[in-house]
Order: sequence, then structure tokens, then C-alpha cells
Amino acid sequence: MNKISIPIGPQHPLLKEPLSMQIDISGEKVLGGSLRLGYVHRGIERLAEQRTYVQNVHLIERICGICSHIHTTTFCHAVERLLEIDVPQRAYYIRAMMCELERVHSHLLWLGIIAKHVGLDTIFMHTWHDRELALDIMEELSGGRVSHATNQIGGVRFDLTDHQEAMIRTTITDLSLRVNNLLDVIKNEPALQARTRGVAKVSPEMIHQYCVVGPVARASGVDVDFRRDDPLPPYDQLDFNVITHNDGDAWARTVIRAEEARESLILCERILNEMPDGPVHVRAPRRVPEGEVVIRSEAPRGELFYYLRSDGSDKPARLKIRTPTLAALSLLPKQLSSIQVADIPVVMAGIDLCIACADR
Amino acid sequence: MKINNLDALRKSMADSLKVDCEVYRGIDGDQTLRIPSAELKRVVSFLVDQMDCRHLSTITAQQRVEDPDQIEVIYHFWHGISFSIMTMVSEELPRLPEIVSILPGADFYEREVAEMFGIEFVGREETPPLLLPDDWDQGPPFIRNEDHRE
Amino acid sequence: MIEAWFYLLFFPGLIFQVICGLIFEWLDRKLLARFQRRVGPPWYQPLADMVKLFSKEDLLPEGVNDLVATLLPIVSLSAILTAGLYIPIAGFSPYSFEGDLIVILFLLSVPTLAYYLAGVVSVGIYSTLGGGRSLLQFFSYEVPLLIALSGPAILSGSWSVKQIMVSQATLGPFILFQPLGFLLAIVGLIGKLKRDPLDIPKAKSEVVGGPLTEFTGAKLAFWHLGMNIQAVLGIFLLVNLYLGWSKGANPLLTIPVFIVECLVLVVLLSGASAIFARLRIDQLAGLGWRILVPLGLLQLGFVILMGV
Repeated sequence: MNKISIPIGPQHPLLKEPLSMQIDISGEKVLGGSLRLGYVHRGIERLAEQRTYVQNVHLIERICGICSHIHTTTFCHAVERLLEIDVPQRAYYIRAMMCELERVHSHLLWLGIIAKHVGLDTIFMHTWHDRELALDIMEELSGGRVSHATNQIGGVRFDLTDHQEAMIRTTITDLSLRVNNLLDVIKNEPALQARTRGVAKVSPEMIHQYCVVGPVARASGVDVDFRRDDPLPPYDQLDFNVITHNDGDAWARTVIRAEEARESLILCERILNEMPDGPVHVRAPRRVPEGEVVIRSEAPRGELFYYLRSDGSDKPARLKIRTPTLAALSLLPKQLSSIQVADIPVVMAGIDLCIACADR
Repeated sequence: MKINNLDALRKSMADSLKVDCEVYRGIDGDQTLRIPSAELKRVVSFLVDQMDCRHLSTITAQQRVEDPDQIEVIYHFWHGISFSIMTMVSEELPRLPEIVSILPGADFYEREVAEMFGIEFVGREETPPLLLPDDWDQGPPFIRNEDHRE
Repeated sequence: MIEAWFYLLFFPGLIFQVICGLIFEWLDRKLLARFQRRVGPPWYQPLADMVKLFSKEDLLPEGVNDLVATLLPIVSLSAILTAGLYIPIAGFSPYSFEGDLIVILFLLSVPTLAYYLAGVVSVGIYSTLGGGRSLLQFFSYEVPLLIALSGPAILSGSWSVKQIMVSQATLGPFILFQPLGFLLAIVGLIGKLKRDPLDIPKAKSEVVGGPLTEFTGAKLAFWHLGMNIQAVLGIFLLVNLYLGWSKGANPLLTIPVFIVECLVLVVLLSGASAIFARLRIDQLAGLGWRILVPLGLLQLGFVILMGV
């Protein structure tokens, strides 16, 4: 059969955010593809240099809708490190709890997407229904389902009341039941397995070559999780499991996210139990002393990297952000060769694209 | 072999590679070594092959106000600890050897630095733009022609 | 003469089939929604959608043959409506004749071919890809479907749907003798209707809209109407071939029983839609030829032996 080139994007039912790919196919076999980003490039790094640190917290949150909290958390940690201030422990714990909730809702969102692409609309509907519980908690605490504005430089914006704590505990219990149920369904669902097992295997060697991070790397057996390896407080005091699988195929990437969601809920409870009392915020000076800092954290999609340089004024001199999706995307053209056309959605969904993050 | 002793690393690089490098202590949370830009490829090869240090987090480029004719390029690695390699290129002739042949994962980062700062990565077949639109004609956005601060 | 016009336009012709098609679409969407923990559309949604489609601009991309693109949905719908004239509704069939089962099956394969041609005539890549897939799918389900549907004909000794239905009054509903055939017929019907799990030609994530990607306005309305009426006719056909009842029994019960049987099939189809994931085209081809055809032949062998 002749080789034809299908464009996927910038607008396509497969994509939630704009991305342009040219995929070469012959019959039902995919030969390869090329990638073009930049449709949502807003120049965040350059914009950050023209705004004060306080304004930047607001800007950074809008890099991505799904992982907004981890971006601001990492940024605030970077600034607080340069300011050399002591942020109260309680603030760290609240930040961690929101991070874990974000991880849960991001993974559930993703599970729905991959189910939808395989044709299991029902699982998609149920997953997103359950995800609303996690968003309800976030809304109860911060007032927003998607944009939480939790972080400030020097701590967090709100504290937990007893009533909220009780509500969180019941919701987490409910959500844990549902996630466990979901995990059972997925593991016993033959159609999902038929579409994902053995598809687009990624070897640990490829992971290392392409510097891939996050659940994609862990699904191929590479044991790296920046909550454990380079912990931001309070993760250095928290006990949790890092889940890896060895298969490296789309199925491993599916299961690992579901299991991580379950693990995150357990961690959330632990955070609630171990949360110390105290203030949630400490005053931070507006001018940040000269210095440079590198901070890494574990976003739902992998390693989030921030490099911040300050020149003594109230605006950053340079902010460099590397989001995990960018690393995963570099693996995509390689993964696309040697699969079938029907597997394209599964492969693309397997990376858990967040183009807004990648483009900044 | 882990990199936890920066001085030992510097010594072994000086001995086996004959590369002269110095420790840069400016970055909090990071162990940084400064190397001459011409030696970049050899150093990265050494790190990847000899030290098994293969995870490149990203490549940062920046210009410091106190040194406007130079572009500073930092290669951030993760090897159990945060470790970086820093080089400088001049703004007039910004050239660096590519490392995509050693670490394919560096592709996107080099492309972004190339389009944002106008750096040419020698040895690459092509460096298509990553984030900027195809019809961008205003030059590298990060190169300051005058001070942009309000 | 007036009778003929009544049959053609009202019952069991145009108006009746259109209304049934709309009701089917509503039932299907509502059931699916309830399976997925959603509310689902109100009863008038399919009608509203159809009216809205008719009011939309009718565009075609450059390079598409306007005449063919306009004729295809019309021919497809006409074939379906004609096929409906021969399928007994609760025992009532004004035009039945010996051999009408074959005519029905022939007429119902016209829309499948039209669908493929729609993919070819639309210039875009997604349409062509979807069209190719629909043809591949056709080769995988049609043979098992035909084999399965021959069963009742052989058992009753007649190729007229009305006769087959009537003969079940004495012999009993054929589903009891050919449960396998019934199952195969359901699978074949799902394939023919291109419903989940066999909606490969128009899988949104893969080929956007498949062959119908470029159709808009009234043409698209005709395509959708055709699909829905085809579903209804498929259900009627299966009910007549496998679940024949009534006759001999109370004539007042004929219509309610028929309706109930149709509803059971609708629930089956919607349930299958909700539960199963989409197959890959190679998995479908494997399923069709390696499992369905042998099973169909087995069932047919059984039936022939029984008849002897």
C-alpha cells in the first residue's frame, strides 16, 4: 500500500490541547511521525522576568490546568530557598496534601481518557464522576476546582478547619473505595488489556536515552520518584511506596497510574494524620537576595525542574522551567514506529500529554 | 560511579580528559562545574559512558546583566544528586557542539535554546524551531538588545 | 391504489419507519446514559437534532463529486425504507412474498456499500481511511450474519420472513433451536450498524468521523436517519426470525408482545455498547473468520440435521 501522511492536530478529537503531528502510515501500519509544538506557547519564562515574585505565583499557576499546584509549590520553594525563610511545617503539609490530591485527580482524568480512546466510554464516564470527589475537596479548601491559588511565598493561603478535616476524611474514604473498585475493573477488563498489552513497549534503555521521567519511566522498571529521591519538605518525613512495573507497555502505564492514585490517597490520609499545628504562613520580603537555586519535584507526570536566578530586585532575573511532558514527548516519534494505526490513540494517551505544560 | 565528590570528579576529568574545569558554587542545591565550551562533547561523553550519568533534566541558557556579551549555558543532570555543567559562549558567535548523538533526549532542549537564544548547535542536521511559530521574524526572544526592564 | 400509498407513506412505510428510527435513537442514548451514570437526553432530542441538521449549511470540500455525494445518502435511505416494507410488524406485512428475506438482506447491504463509497468520494484522508475500514469490517461480519440468518429460513422451509414468523407458531420460537444463530445474528447486526464495539470505521479517536467526516446539513441528516432506521429494521428482522410468537394466541397480545421483544433487543444492543471496548480491525477480522464463521456453520449443520 502507498504511504500516506495523516495529520493529527492541531485540532483533533484525540487531543485535548493543540499539538501537530504528521504520522506516516502504510495500510494499518505506522511508519513514523514528526512533531511540532508551540501552539500554546505563551512565553511564560520571559513574562516571569517582567513580573514580581508575588505576581509570578499567579502566572505560574496558569501554566497548566491539571498540575497547577505543583508548579506554584515548586516555584514557592525556590523563592523561599533564596529568601532563606522558615516556612511553617503546617504549610508544607497542606501543600503536600493538595499535591497528592492533584495527583489523584490527574491520574483519574487520564484513566478516563485512555478508556475513552479504547472505546470504553462507560469507564470514562465513571472515572470522571469519581474524580469530581477529589475536586470537591480542593474546592472546599481553596474555593476553586481547578485553579486553587493555594500557595503564597512563605506558606499557604488558607488553613483547615475541623469541619473541613472531617469532610476530607470521609471523602477520601469514599474515593479510596471507588479507586479500588476501578482498579479491579481495569485489571479484569479483557478489552482494555487486549488493546494495551504489549503495545509500544519502551525498554529501560530507551528511557535513559531519552531522559524520560515519571510514570512512563516507572512503568518500564526505572525506579525514580523525586518525592523520595530529592524530597521537598514534608516528603522527607513521610512514608510512602513508589510503584514500578517491568513490562514497559501501554498496559503497565495504565495500571501504574491507577495504583499510584490509590497510593496517593493513602498518603493523603497519612498527611492529615501527621499534620502539625501552627501557623500556615510567614511574612516574606518582597526583594529576594541575589542567588540561584535548582528545585526538582514530582508532578503527576514526572520530574518538574525549576531553575531560578535572582539579582536582588523584586523580579526574577531568569526562570527556567522544564515540565515532564516535554521529556515524554521526545520519546513519542520513536514509539510511533512499529505500531498499528488503531494503537495511535493508546500510545498518545499513554504519555499523558499536557501540552500547555510542555509549551509554557 | 556516583558523583558526590565534586573535587574528585574535577580531578579525574583533569587527569583522564585533560579538561580544565572549575567548581562554581553559585547555585543552591546543585553541584556545578564550569568547563570550556569546546570540551562539552567530550565531557558529556565521559559522564554518560564512564560515570553512567545519563539523565539530563534540561539545558538552561541565560544572559547576565554584568556580562552582556556572553551567553551562559547550563546542562542540568540528575545522578542521585543534582549536578550541572556550565559553559559560556559569546553572543557574537554563539556556537556549541551538539550532544544529541550521545543523549537523544537532549533534542528538544537544544532546539528550544537554539530558537530562544540564537545558539547554533554544531553537528546537528537541522534544528527546527520547537515553540516559536514558523513565521517568527523578530530574532531570539531572550537576547536583550536593550534593557527590557520596566 | 390508495392502499398502496398508505402503505408506502405511512405504515409500514416512510412515516412509521422515521418515527421508529427516532424512538430507537432516543432509547439507545437514554439507556447508554443511564448505564454511564448520566441523565441522558429528553425524548424529543433525536427529532430536534434532525431538524437542526436540516437547517445547517450543506457544504462539501473542493474536489468532491457533488452529484455522487448527494445521491449516496438518498439512495442509502431509499434502500433501507424499501427493505422495511417487507418486514412484518407484529404480523402485519402487506407486501411479503416468497424469497423476500433475500431481497431484504440485499437491500440492507446497499447502505454499507454507500457508506464505503461516501468515504471514497470525500477527498479527505480520514474519510478514505474510514471507508477502507468499513469494507474490511463488511467482509468480517457479513458472512457470519448471512449464515446465521439462513438458519430460520431452512428450519421453516421458507424464505419469506412472514412465513418464517408464522411457522414459529407451530414449531415454537426459533431462538430455542438456534441460540447460537441468534447470538451470531446480534453480533452481525452490531457490525452492520457500526455500533460500539464494532464502530471501527468511525472511531472518533482514530479517524475523526470516518467516511461521513465531510458531510453536513441535510445529507448528514439522511445518513443518520438511515443508520437509525437500519437499526430498527435489524431489530424487527431478528424479532421475526427468532422470536416469533402470537399467532394462534390472543390477537390482542400480538402488538404488545412484539413491542416488548423489540425493547429487549434494544436493551441488548445498548448494553453491548456500554460494556465492550472497541475492537481493532485485525481483531475483528480474526473474530469474524476464525470464530464466528465456524460457529455459524456449526449451527447451520445442526439446523439442517434437525430439519431432516
